[in-house]
Amino acid sequence: MTFLSPWVLLIGAVAAAGSVLLHLVALQRPASYLLPTARFIPDRRTLVRRMATRPRDLLLLSLRVLLLLSAAAAFARPVLAPSRAPLARVVLFDRSGAVQSMEKSVTQLRPWLTDGVPTQLVLFDSVAVVARDAAAELEALSLATSRTAARDSLRASSVGSLSAALVAAGRLGPVLAADADSVQLVIVSPLASNEFDAATDSIRAHWRGGIVIARPTSDSVASVAGTVASTLERALSPDDPLAPALSLVRVASSPTSVRLRRSALDARDTAFARSGGTVVRWDSASGAPAGATALAMGDDVVVATLGRGRSPAEGATIARWGDGSAAASEVRIGAGCIRHVAVGVPLAGDLPLRGAFRRVAQGLMAPCSGNRASGPADDLAVARLRGPEGLASAERLADPAQRPHPLVPWLLGIALACALGELVVRGRVAPERA
Amino acid sequence: MTAGPYGGLLDAVRGVRWPAARRVAGATLGAHASKLRGNSSEFSEFRPYRQGDDPRRVDWRLLARSDRAYVRLTTDRATLRTAIIIDASASMAFPLADLAKWGRAREIAVGLAAVAHAESDPVGLAIASDPPFVLAPRARRSVLVEMIRALDGTTPRASAPLAPFVTSARAPRVVLVTDLLGDLEDMVAAAKLRIASGGEVIVVHVVSPDELDPPGGALLAVDPEHATTRRTLDGAARAEYQRAFFTWMDDTASMFRAARIRYFRAETPEPAAHVVRRIAGDAGDAGR
Repeated sequence: MTFLSPWVLLIGAVAAAGSVLLHLVALQRPASYLLPTARFIPDRRTLVRRMATRPRDLLLLSLRVLLLLSAAAAFARPVLAPSRAPLARVVLFDRSGAVQSMEKSVTQLRPWLTDGVPTQLVLFDSVAVVARDAAAELEALSLATSRTAARDSLRASSVGSLSAALVAAGRLGPVLAADADSVQLVIVSPLASNEFDAATDSIRAHWRGGIVIARPTSDSVASVAGTVASTLERALSPDDPLAPALSLVRVASSPTSVRLRRSALDARDTAFARSGGTVVRWDSASGAPAGATALAMGDDVVVATLGRGRSPAEGATIARWGDGSAAASEVRIGAGCIRHVAVGVPLAGDLPLRGAFRRVAQGLMAPCSGNRASGPADDLAVARLRGPEGLASAERLADPAQRPHPLVPWLLGIALACALGELVVRGRVAPERA
Repeated sequence: MTAGPYGGLLDAVRGVRWPAARRVAGATLGAHASKLRGNSSEFSEFRPYRQGDDPRRVDWRLLARSDRAYVRLTTDRATLRTAIIIDASASMAFPLADLAKWGRAREIAVGLAAVAHAESDPVGLAIASDPPFVLAPRARRSVLVEMIRALDGTTPRASAPLAPFVTSARAPRVVLVTDLLGDLEDMVAAAKLRIASGGEVIVVHVVSPDELDPPGGALLAVDPEHATTRRTLDGAARAEYQRAFFTWMDDTASMFRAARIRYFRAETPEPAAHVVRRIAGDAGDAGR
């Protein structure tokens, strides 16, 4: 147990000493002395102020001293201070679509979780989730053989939010600071530019220390380059309703390329996928529009009159209808993947012009393993995120509302009882002195 | 009879004469000059013979030489009854540790009684206590022992007035041994009456040094005779107390002198024999 305001204890001790002193010099009834000529003494007061060698009214004094010390101890803010570790750590692990290789990210993550430092793992994409058990989470991530298996399918194409992750870190910091001298913040992320937002810098400022950035090697975010025309093998007729929509979609370039098929796949498509390409089978007969419906992919939701084809029977769902059924799925094959999309696009209307649909379409047409719509963050943003060197000290992260010691209410109760007892005892002592 | 603790005192006052302050009216032959002129051998003076004088007192030799008849006058000696009144109120039991005031008062009473008794004067004792003790003046040999026994058997306590004893004393010489903290005004009034009737009143004021200068430090002084009188005696009050007490003693002495009451202050450290000699010597001076 320690005290957050030890100076209050000092004040209480001084007040208690003062109380003892007052009991020594307080007005006291002097010793009785039979004096036949007492009548010649002027009749004034019956109490005199004198210094005694032993305090009188020991019970009253004890109550007053106990009252002062109890109240001082209570107001000195005693807190439970378990054995403190020199270092604690918060690791923000990016599992958003910006991560190209989950295996490499996990490799980057592993040393931070296995070096014996108490660590809180935060998994973040568009939202941040604090892992209950970092070791178990690491195990789960390690066992995942595919990115889609390791992540929630709907999150696979989501945009990571560093702000959300930093908010989670900011909340975990004081908790860890209660048991450690310093807290280290580590971000394991490729740090795509779209993971920064307007609030990131201000939220970052709340972390009173430097941040260690661990970017997965060779997992740099693919730059936005190329266009659909250059990398997307399309076989779209001019009157295909997807044509206007995809004409506005920018697809990131990658070592692999994307092939769109509006009909059944053949052996070449399978070979293409196995060699690392992305084959998107977007059936032209995906059903006639039956009315307004919602399509969700990642954080993007499109509400429009869309046709609903037969839900994909296999693979990881990457887009869902409003009722939860799968609207698109992805199946890993070889080094690439085959993506099945059962979304019918109306021929008429402004749907291709809507930003949400374009982002959904972009996600559906993205290369395997995620949305590559954003490039790496610039060095300046990363430097701002990294901040100054050094760890965040526990004092700077300490939550002002620390856990009070359970003794506090008892101390206050004792003080209250002493105050009441003091009243009673004082009432008894006063008549005796009169 | 043994004098016990008073042996030294009795030895110290042996031979001390305590003459009456004025001629006494007693007829019993004693040591004090009598108001009566009689047939004693102590010649005083000649007076011309007057009708009615005893012819046997005419000095025939002087008649033969001067042819005038003179009567030879002589001075008679008489005894003087002495009553000693001692204050045994609670205020005399001070200090509590040794009751020095009471002890000194007893010694003074015994010493004066011994001196008076040595001159064949009848001596009586009255102890103003509750209950009171009165021993009528007697000249018998055992009276001193009776007085000592009565004094030793008395413990000062409560409060008893002195004035009634002064009024009822059956002796022309009355000695009061007291601290004057009782019925002072009544006692003075009774003494004045006695003096007016030809008596003699002597007051021995017994004072303790602790009353003149109480112990240091703050005290809650309690009057032993009036428990409700409780006063705090500290630094500031001490000076006022001493000033008031000394003023009172001086005023009281002046009042006694004005009333022709002989006043002696006896502080307890002063030996009783010395006090007795002072009283007796002062009486001798007054008699001359």
